[in-house]
Amino acid sequence: MSDQPVSGNRPDTLSRRTFLRAAGVAGGAALGPAVLRRKAEAQETPSPIRPDPSAKRGGTLRYAVHNAPAHFDVHQSGTVANIGPQSPMYDTLLRRDPKDGQTIIPDLAWKYEISPDGKKYTFHLRKGVKFHDGADFTAEDVKATYDRIVRPPKGVVIPRTPLFATVSEIVVVDPHKIEFRMSEARPKAFMLGSFASGWNIIVRKKTLEENQGNLRQVMNYPGTGPFKHVSRQDKEVWIMDRNPNYWNKGLPYIDKLEVYHMFPFSPELGSAFISGKVDYARLLDPVSWRKAKEMPGVTAAAFNQSVIQAFWTNMKKKPLADPRVRRAIHLAMDRHTLVEVVKDTAPMQIGGFVYPFHPMSTPKAELEKRLGYQKDMKPAVQEARRLMQEAGYGQGIKGLDFVVRDIQTFKLWAVAIQAMLKEHINIECNLRTVQTSVWFDEAAAGNFDLAISAIVSTLMDPSDYFSAWYGQNGPQNYSVWTNEQFHSLTRQIDRELNDTKRKALVRKAEDILEQDPPLIPVAYEQIYDAYYNKVRGQNPSTYFGIYDVVRWDQVWLA
Amino acid sequence: MRKYLARRALFALGTLIGVSLIIFVVLRILPGDPLVAILGVEGHARMTKEDRVRIMHDLGLSDPLPVQYVHWLRDIATGKLGKSFFRGDTVADLILHRGPISAEIGILALIVSWLVGLPVGIVSAVKPNSSLDNIARSLAILFIAIPGFWLGMLIVLALLFWFGYKSPLIIVHVWQSPWQNLQIVIGPAIVLGLAQGAYIARMARSCLLEVIREDYVRTARAKGVVERRVVLGHALPNALLPVITISGVLLGFVLGGSVAVEQAFGVPGLGRALVTAVIERDIIVVQNLVLLYAAIFVVVNLLVDLSYAWLDPRIHYA
Repeated sequence: MSDQPVSGNRPDTLSRRTFLRAAGVAGGAALGPAVLRRKAEAQETPSPIRPDPSAKRGGTLRYAVHNAPAHFDVHQSGTVANIGPQSPMYDTLLRRDPKDGQTIIPDLAWKYEISPDGKKYTFHLRKGVKFHDGADFTAEDVKATYDRIVRPPKGVVIPRTPLFATVSEIVVVDPHKIEFRMSEARPKAFMLGSFASGWNIIVRKKTLEENQGNLRQVMNYPGTGPFKHVSRQDKEVWIMDRNPNYWNKGLPYIDKLEVYHMFPFSPELGSAFISGKVDYARLLDPVSWRKAKEMPGVTAAAFNQSVIQAFWTNMKKKPLADPRVRRAIHLAMDRHTLVEVVKDTAPMQIGGFVYPFHPMSTPKAELEKRLGYQKDMKPAVQEARRLMQEAGYGQGIKGLDFVVRDIQTFKLWAVAIQAMLKEHINIECNLRTVQTSVWFDEAAAGNFDLAISAIVSTLMDPSDYFSAWYGQNGPQNYSVWTNEQFHSLTRQIDRELNDTKRKALVRKAEDILEQDPPLIPVAYEQIYDAYYNKVRGQNPSTYFGIYDVVRWDQVWLA
Repeated sequence: MRKYLARRALFALGTLIGVSLIIFVVLRILPGDPLVAILGVEGHARMTKEDRVRIMHDLGLSDPLPVQYVHWLRDIATGKLGKSFFRGDTVADLILHRGPISAEIGILALIVSWLVGLPVGIVSAVKPNSSLDNIARSLAILFIAIPGFWLGMLIVLALLFWFGYKSPLIIVHVWQSPWQNLQIVIGPAIVLGLAQGAYIARMARSCLLEVIREDYVRTARAKGVVERRVVLGHALPNALLPVITISGVLLGFVLGGSVAVEQAFGVPGLGRALVTAVIERDIIVVQNLVLLYAAIFVVVNLLVDLSYAWLDPRIHYA
């Protein structure tokens, strides 16, 4: 880590040039401080997302994504049901560049600085930005937004709160400058990723005050985003118009955005796209996606999603408390077959305990040489049987209660897993399919032996999900798994600022998880999008997840 | 007649109170946490006990059950029917917006069932055991056996893959665009109507077969009345009573069937709203929609009973 403060705004050279120009001007005796001040103001750099002169303006984009949200509070949500229709109305401090979905670029903060010790993040906010109700956007709004995210009021639950666990103070320096002071430094990529997360939209301080910090039932609260609310028909469509006063002049291109609510992976969504009733469909089922791929004038894209599909083993039940038994179960999974089993229901890929596409995880080619991930199951099954023997369960285990979430993929997998466990290590289990709401009750209460579901994280960074999924008292550690060596390693990973050293620690943690599994990874989800080629300016193939590049300001219709 | 009506109205009220109590209690003792849908999986996992208490209180779910029930009755009395747990929309608004589409489907389905079922039943009865009768009976059994949602999905897929057609994605009311509205309701109405038509055909056939053997029909024929008039003018009206009765019962099937068929066709009607509410455990919406369906069922059956007197002058209600 350099001793120099780190700053970010994409056109670095432009800032320098502006600075030199301002300095030159300052040297001129004829110019006074008023001019200097004006020059300093001019330093604010425009958004890296610039209007493309060749882009066509106007038109209505019809976008289908997920069923309707359960409420309207984006901060409190964990589902694309909110992000999908609501994000176009809001902005964030930083954002992911829609060109690649990865690079972090300025948004409402045109520049940021990180102190040398990594414990202070300073954001310089754009001036002249207005909320949709005409109010000025200031640092007070950022403070109110993040105060709520960092320390939610009672009855408000925000899944992103842990990302900012080390933020001790948020200080408004002036109306357009704000500091986040931290008790402890966190890796830069982790923190910037958190600020750039599509979930952390900026809302008005007044809105939060008027609603006691809870926006669950407030449908149309003002944002600063490229689109403005027009109307909403519950469970059908959310209609937005172009914001003519958007701060990023020249954007958005399209006049109207219609967001249709349709169940993910449903035939209804597929048929709406194939029949041309929508221009862009997200979360298509594989059958419709393959059909779309064959259609002329259509682009079908696949990209990674921040969801692990897994089943948990209840550590409170005696045979499953033994790491050898859990490792045997882990090795008994034929993951290639499991991906195949659901290939017409949902797109999946093989992975272990860390996102398989993250730079810190074991590369896929290497992973597939490991026991439990190979196509040839023989060595893994042999080892699994040996472990069962060693643990004293060579004859197998009978009567495990396998709780299955009532979703097609889990139902298909549960049957396959049941067969694999029986065939490979003679574990017999009884399937118990329950509704989603019941599943989480049962999982939280520990009323299961095995339980299959999926969980999500905000970031790809292990510091986001290691503690939630595998941490002691982690909210999604349904197995109630503990491993002191792993927990202490997690603390190191959270604090380590050097990427190379951090990667080595993550690999070490991965090794522990392989030997003492807190859950049994089944697969990692992918997202299938399809759009007619008249939709331009969007390239989802390299995106990670569906929660960050969601604003449609750069999209135009040919 | 007035006495009879008052008695029936009282009986209907008792039935509805019974239904309301059952659905109210059942929804509250069923396992499953509505907060999973409200907070999402991640939010739910991170919720503290204090958060839970606060949210349950905000939703009115921490009150004792009798208090919650009285609140619901109050909401019914005010006509708002309470608010959805989630987005804060009133159930009354939901019914006003989606109800007309489901009502259209129900009425159209009933019309289709009569238009299809009655002629088939008559032809079968007039020419029993003929090849026409055999075909009609086979088709009737087929449509009774095929689940509506499956047939619906087949129709949706066939229209999509052969003609690239899909009905409108959002509700278009008949007064907004009759053509678009028809595209939304016609599919579910035909699927539901065919299944009910099959029952009506079978019922009409057996009733007509029985009536055709009556003395007065034989007398009419002996007097040289044209066969068409014998069947349609003399036999059919007397065979219709059981068919009307079964139509009332079938309306219950139409209401129940519409839940799955609306889902298959992607029609945003009340049936679909009920499915979504069940998935989300939005118990306020579920309890009101179930009560509404029960009320429709009770009222339709009352109307069926009253229609007897109109169709058969020998029947008097006292």
